[in-house]
Amino acid sequence: MKIYIRDAGETKIVEVEGDVDLGTSPDLRRTLFDTLLHAPKLALNLAAIRYIDSSGIATLLEVLKHSQSRNKEFVLFGLSPAVQQVFHLTHVIRIFQVFQTEEEALGSA
Amino acid sequence: MTPDSPCLHLKFAMPSDARYLPVVRGAIAPLAAAIGWDEPDCLAITLALDEALANIIRHAYHNRADGLIELECRQSPDGLEVTLLDHGEAPDKTKICARAIACDQPGGLGTHIIKEVMDTVSYQATPAGNRFVATKRLKRTP
Repeated sequence: MKIYIRDAGETKIVEVEGDVDLGTSPDLRRTLFDTLLHAPKLALNLAAIRYIDSSGIATLLEVLKHSQSRNKEFVLFGLSPAVQQVFHLTHVIRIFQVFQTEEEALGSA
Repeated sequence: MTPDSPCLHLKFAMPSDARYLPVVRGAIAPLAAAIGWDEPDCLAITLALDEALANIIRHAYHNRADGLIELECRQSPDGLEVTLLDHGEAPDKTKICARAIACDQPGGLGTHIIKEVMDTVSYQATPAGNRFVATKRLKRTP
């Protein structure tokens, strides 16, 4: 799994590439929590994720709750078909703010 | 396929180390495709078995990487049967629970996925170890 971070105004955009599973989700969790410290909004690009398991979904749920408790915004965009399927299987799709494109995700505030 | 014909039968042994999960995932999806499932079903079956392995690593071996997990996938006349065997702590059946639908709590997701994807699931503590058996039927179109 590779993680890239860049700025778009006050928003931090985090891009994840590869597999998010029991072995890699702790790294993603650490990165997302650290990044959220430094911005009012975090947009996570999931387009290049080939595989995500329940530990990855649980990580996203944790980050969402953490962001809400600190009045910050956490949004997702670019869900790959594999990610969409796991979101539907776990019934979490409605819990997150999900956008198709980066532009839509950035304009969501 | 008749009950007497040779069938696909894969056996793995892996350490209880999450670094090896991609190796197993890489074998399960092609196996499911060879039996006849389409791509979304192959992903779902792979995910369910990956979740079962992850549960063993986390709960039976408490994230220790030196445990042994044996995995057996067998094509059956009506689909697939998977058996996992480990020698860690036996599962507490009272604590094996799927999460509530659309709940925002992170726990129980893996068990929910396994039950949602597979047709039958059972856990059993045996003298040989903890045995997890799951089956999935292939729904053939007429």
